[in-house]
Amino acid sequence: MNKMSKALLTSVVLVLVVIVPACKTTKKQIKTDQTTTTAQTQVPDIPVQTDTGTTVAPNTDFVDKSAEPTEELIPSDIDELNRWAASKGFIRDAFFSYDESTLDADAQTSLTNSATWLKGKDGASYNLLIQGHCDERGTEQYNLALGDRRANIAKDYLVTLGVDAGRIRTVSYGEERPFEEGHDEASWAQNRRAHLVLVR
Amino acid sequence: MRLAIEITAPHLRRAPRGFAFLLLLFLASAAFAQTEVTTTIGANQAAQIIRIVVPFPELAPSAGTATTPIDSGQVRELFFAPLTRDIAYSGVFAIAPPPPGVPITPDLLKRISAQYYLKLNVWIEGEEHVVEGRLIDASGQTQLAKRYRGQAAALTRTAHLLSNELLKALNGRPGVFLTQIAFASNRTGNWEIWLMDWDGANQRRITFHNALSILPSWSPDNERMVYTSFVRGTSEMYIINRRGGGRVSVSSGVALNTSATFSPVSNDIAFVGSVRGNPDIYLIKDDGTNIRRLTSTGSIESTPEWSPNGRQIAFTSGRSGTPQIYMMDAEGTNVQRISYDGNWNDDAVFAPDGERIAYTSRVNGRFQIRVANLITKENHIIAGEGSNEQPTWSPDGQWIAFQSNRSGKWQVYRMRADGSDLLQLTFTSENKEPDWSKKPE
Repeated sequence: MNKMSKALLTSVVLVLVVIVPACKTTKKQIKTDQTTTTAQTQVPDIPVQTDTGTTVAPNTDFVDKSAEPTEELIPSDIDELNRWAASKGFIRDAFFSYDESTLDADAQTSLTNSATWLKGKDGASYNLLIQGHCDERGTEQYNLALGDRRANIAKDYLVTLGVDAGRIRTVSYGEERPFEEGHDEASWAQNRRAHLVLVR
Repeated sequence: MRLAIEITAPHLRRAPRGFAFLLLLFLASAAFAQTEVTTTIGANQAAQIIRIVVPFPELAPSAGTATTPIDSGQVRELFFAPLTRDIAYSGVFAIAPPPPGVPITPDLLKRISAQYYLKLNVWIEGEEHVVEGRLIDASGQTQLAKRYRGQAAALTRTAHLLSNELLKALNGRPGVFLTQIAFASNRTGNWEIWLMDWDGANQRRITFHNALSILPSWSPDNERMVYTSFVRGTSEMYIINRRGGGRVSVSSGVALNTSATFSPVSNDIAFVGSVRGNPDIYLIKDDGTNIRRLTSTGSIESTPEWSPNGRQIAFTSGRSGTPQIYMMDAEGTNVQRISYDGNWNDDAVFAPDGERIAYTSRVNGRFQIRVANLITKENHIIAGEGSNEQPTWSPDGQWIAFQSNRSGKWQVYRMRADGSDLLQLTFTSENKEPDWSKKPE
């Protein structure tokens, strides 16, 4: 193998390494939203809730589109904004392994994605609260400390990606506020996370 | 008048005879000074259970007749039931049932091998209930006589006061009948701090944050509690008095502010603080001044707990790779690892003797309460159903309260330090994080 093709191969591998995880959607992400990565640059000043990701078929019907209103987000409703930003995949939670507070590739991808939006023109006006959560299998008091560590590791990662540290607050809920009430691995996996919440 | 002093603490039984004798002398003289009774101590009386007859009260004065009608059901529920529960669980008495319809005489006591008879009278004078208790021995002599007066609502506390006096008179030291257990309950929809009597009765809410409020911990004088609340969005420490008033926040300036616990000897509070995601053990004065960091590893440190003399702090650290129990001097020096069993240990609490700790230990995927002797290094598991966490000792070292999810929900339970006499104390919604008050009275 000559130098040239080696370099080419390396760059192809690099591109794959960078792009493939970025395209991977986490469990809770809405599958139909294929436009996630490209939509980031296309959203208008006030985020518009357009029809979600039905970009598969070309518009071949004859229905008059002008009779359809477009839905806009009420900028003052922060809960709705959070739901919208999460459903679009702009803001993604980082998930952890059991008793771990290190960021695996999926968690890094989620945070990279979130950092991009937070630095963009739509996200730049919001602050962020990162909640650290743990599953029920540890002890309560230690898990409060573990949740603090998870929230801060997510914060540090966002800061290294260029998000202003002054915009980010953290809080640990330990195992006090589970997302799923079940007592199985599927529920526990959902409950081990740094949960990103947009705040004013 | 006679007073038998009983030594039931196992570590005292194992102590050398000379030492035990000196201790008995000391206890005897202390008891003498307080109660002005002469004492006779027999070594073979030590582990003896005292049999006592406790019939339902006569609902009239001991001399004369009742003038105001009295609700006997109320007397049974609020007075007689808690009184007999206290006596039955005292570890000192066994209740001897007398044959029905027979007057209780010294002869009868001898026949059923009972040493004492607790004669009770309850009646109403004006607006108030009057309660009289007389402890009569097998020779017919009155060893103790007590009278209490109060509203019907005071009947239960009267029962605990009387049980406590009985125990003091016959055992030389008070029981735990007047102690309180603080805990967190979500029965209002939010986790708030609640209190209950030692037998689970009289459960009442003392915080009204309408926000996550957890981990109550008593002050050494039983007057205050420190706890963590998220009422202002992040977790902060608050101090509240036992009646729910006088709330102040303790602003540490660092994050987390969990697992707060009062020093038994100073106005320091030990707690878990965090700066930039590094949870460590800190001290702070109860007025929020003079914050000091005691640990400085890069790992997670959590769950501090003072030794009874205030010189040491047990805590949990992840420095070995898994959460384990460590001990250090109160200045943060001389750190020693205590737990080696299993891959998750937390919630260490000292018994009042300072020689034993109880902690939460993972065994086969579930948590169990483990009791370790710090001197002999021996430890044993008190096994139970489900997961069992957050032990807390009664101030006499005889009992451990803890939380268990064995019913499918977190509830608070109580057991003897050897695991016997298990009793569920809470039933409504979910309840956890018990903390037993520090003084018997």
